[in-house]
Amino acid sequence: MKKCSLRMVLYELRNINGNFMPHFFGIIFPNLMCVLLSKTVGSQVPDQMRQEVVTSIMLTMTLVIPMAIMLIGYGALYAQEVERGIPLRMRLFGVGEKYEVTAKIAAHLVFLTIAFAIYAVFQVLFMDIQRPAASSLLCLAVSLYLIGIIFLIIAHALANIFRKFSLTFGVTMFLYFGMMILTGMMGMRTDQLPEFLQKVAAALPMTYVSNDFIGFWQGGKYNFMPFIQSFIFMGAAAGILLMCSFHFQQRSQTRGKDSIFA
Amino acid sequence: MLMTIRQLRVKYGNQMALDIEKPVTFEKGERIGVIGSNGAGKSTLVKALLGLVRYEGNVVTQLKPEQMAVHMQFNEYVTSMPVRYIMEAILDTKIKRNRELQELISFFDFEPCLPKRFNALSGGQKQKFTIIMVMFQKAELTFFDEVTSGLDFETRQKLVEKLARWYRDKGDTLVMISHYYEELEQLADKILILDKGKVVAYGQKEQLFKEYCGNVVFIMENNDKNRELSKGFPVLRSPEHLLALACDSRGQERRAMSVLAENNVNFKRSNSDIEIMFMNARERFYSQMGENRV
Repeated sequence: MKKCSLRMVLYELRNINGNFMPHFFGIIFPNLMCVLLSKTVGSQVPDQMRQEVVTSIMLTMTLVIPMAIMLIGYGALYAQEVERGIPLRMRLFGVGEKYEVTAKIAAHLVFLTIAFAIYAVFQVLFMDIQRPAASSLLCLAVSLYLIGIIFLIIAHALANIFRKFSLTFGVTMFLYFGMMILTGMMGMRTDQLPEFLQKVAAALPMTYVSNDFIGFWQGGKYNFMPFIQSFIFMGAAAGILLMCSFHFQQRSQTRGKDSIFA
Repeated sequence: MLMTIRQLRVKYGNQMALDIEKPVTFEKGERIGVIGSNGAGKSTLVKALLGLVRYEGNVVTQLKPEQMAVHMQFNEYVTSMPVRYIMEAILDTKIKRNRELQELISFFDFEPCLPKRFNALSGGQKQKFTIIMVMFQKAELTFFDEVTSGLDFETRQKLVEKLARWYRDKGDTLVMISHYYEELEQLADKILILDKGKVVAYGQKEQLFKEYCGNVVFIMENNDKNRELSKGFPVLRSPEHLLALACDSRGQERRAMSVLAENNVNFKRSNSDIEIMFMNARERFYSQMGENRV
């Protein structure tokens, strides 16, 4: 089997670039939403609060980027490929699954970084946001990448389970909007949700980024324990889903038990 | 010995898709043509050998999976970029810097297709795209599963001609699956006949022809006049619109030729017609099994 190469990562980057979804949902949509919400919500708050509100909106909208690129974008892309038998064709050319998935992850992380960079430049140039403490910025960056990786695992598992673009896309969109509502990204505060949904929201790291990060954006203390626990919970759920997908995908016992292969 | 298949069975639900009882061996450098009707188990055989379907029995080989290459019946690729980048990624090379790959691309006149996306290629171009990459792998054992299916007559002929020309002086082992007998006449030395998952016959093309058809056959239109003329000659099973006379000796052949010429009959003489061979091998196989199902 071949090993992961830069050429394969470039191939996957071209593959992402050839799809409209990550560009729209991962780059245009968060920037656009940021402007619209800042203009509408920002105009309704006192001047001295405006910068904090705009910063809070910026933090919330940052979450859209990993969710859109890794959950919707990757899910749609990989599900289309699985449905058309492309991963199998690649394997028959000696491009192993591990190799292909590694290249896909690397390419998606590069695309995610580009999307973050565009978002950051846009915020600095056009939005009036608070200057962050270095530790808070680092904490946000690490959190966003971790969230992205967890979503990629979920999307990969769903595509492997459903093996159809339509189903995978439907489920990832449901998760995307569901999580946006639960974590306060759609304007509804988490504490306004029914108690059961509040518990679900507490298990999602996005809730903390969306609601709490503004509290220590310019420095200060924060109890990270619930946030870390939410990562462990969501990571474990994604891991279990991935295991289930391997079970679904598991290629039937392919060789007779006495077969002698090199 | 490159690969030996022993008592290979593949089941899809309750349906036995493949049931090979006697050992089938592929030797290095052989060109094996696999023929059979729809549902004969041809593609299932390839899938089993590549480890893509569950099977019982065993396949003995020293080949690693990467030493086998395959052109599947259906080959799909991403449509988000020109095929040149797909080719370079899969083969892990740069076309510009790889003379061997350039040679293959130009042999198949594929240069103008490189900037196109896969969904913009014609059926023949799509097949060529996979063929180039399969050939570039230079695997010990290469499978071509219905490489010309869905192509028009002219494209099919050109493609087979190219394949035959490329492999003419090369020592690669090829397994070619096809519905088209004339393709295997050009490409195969050995024939494996499958029917309803069973091996009907396997051996050298000439040897099988002799066994099931004799030295030579005369093929002509099936009409009253020709049926009358064929009396006195062994008649082989053939497609309904044709009549096939078998000749086992030179004398019989001369006599048949003179009868046909004297009566102004248009005929084809063949000592390698795979279609006639296939039909007669199948008939004998089932008659030996006590079934009359041809």
